[in-house]
Amino acid sequence: MAKKKYFVKRKKTCKFTAEGIEYIDYKDIDLIRQYVPVSGKILPRRVSGTNPIYQRKLTRAIKRARLMALLPFLGD
Amino acid sequence: MPLYELGVIITPSLSDEDREAFLGELKELLAKEGASIVKEDVWGKRNLAYSIKHEREGFYLFWQYQGPGTVVKPLEYRLRVSDQVLRYLNLNLDREMQRARKMEKVRAEQKAAKRDKKGQRAEAAAAAAAEV
Repeated sequence: MAKKKYFVKRKKTCKFTAEGIEYIDYKDIDLIRQYVPVSGKILPRRVSGTNPIYQRKLTRAIKRARLMALLPFLGD
Repeated sequence: MPLYELGVIITPSLSDEDREAFLGELKELLAKEGASIVKEDVWGKRNLAYSIKHEREGFYLFWQYQGPGTVVKPLEYRLRVSDQVLRYLNLNLDREMQRARKMEKVRAEQKAAKRDKKGQRAEAAAAAAAEV
């Protein structure tokens, strides 16, 4: 009989809620980079655990950063 | 008067004097329209994430300025017609913050509502316990 696999669920937390960040600045690349993998795509909420409100703000910030050539539209 | 944030990327091939002259022009335009620069943030030359107009580098510059809404149109027009400007982004920071504050308020209300509900439930439970 196949052994049942168990895995430990990690609790995902929203960094913005935890730290009370009000406005996500598109110039703050070090912060935004955490939510953009090398592929250049925006990390989905189900992966990052970000709050819906902040996910929308984050998306806006990422798109602005892309316009200003701080982040790539297409990654590697 | 709202607070604006302007980000500009200037082509790196422009000499320092020419760039200063151009920025001086922009400042003059801002002053003429009745706006004043609050904060200046110059990043200098930086690699672009992708090439714009065949340039791989850009001179980054950010200004925060306060002025009437009428300043935006001529300023953006000036930036758009300039060949030395690779990109610009003009934001109304007040509006951004307002949005953030509004959401904070909504969240506070939700939290309060939740607390009330919890309190009511606790009361009901206490009442039920008292009856028994």
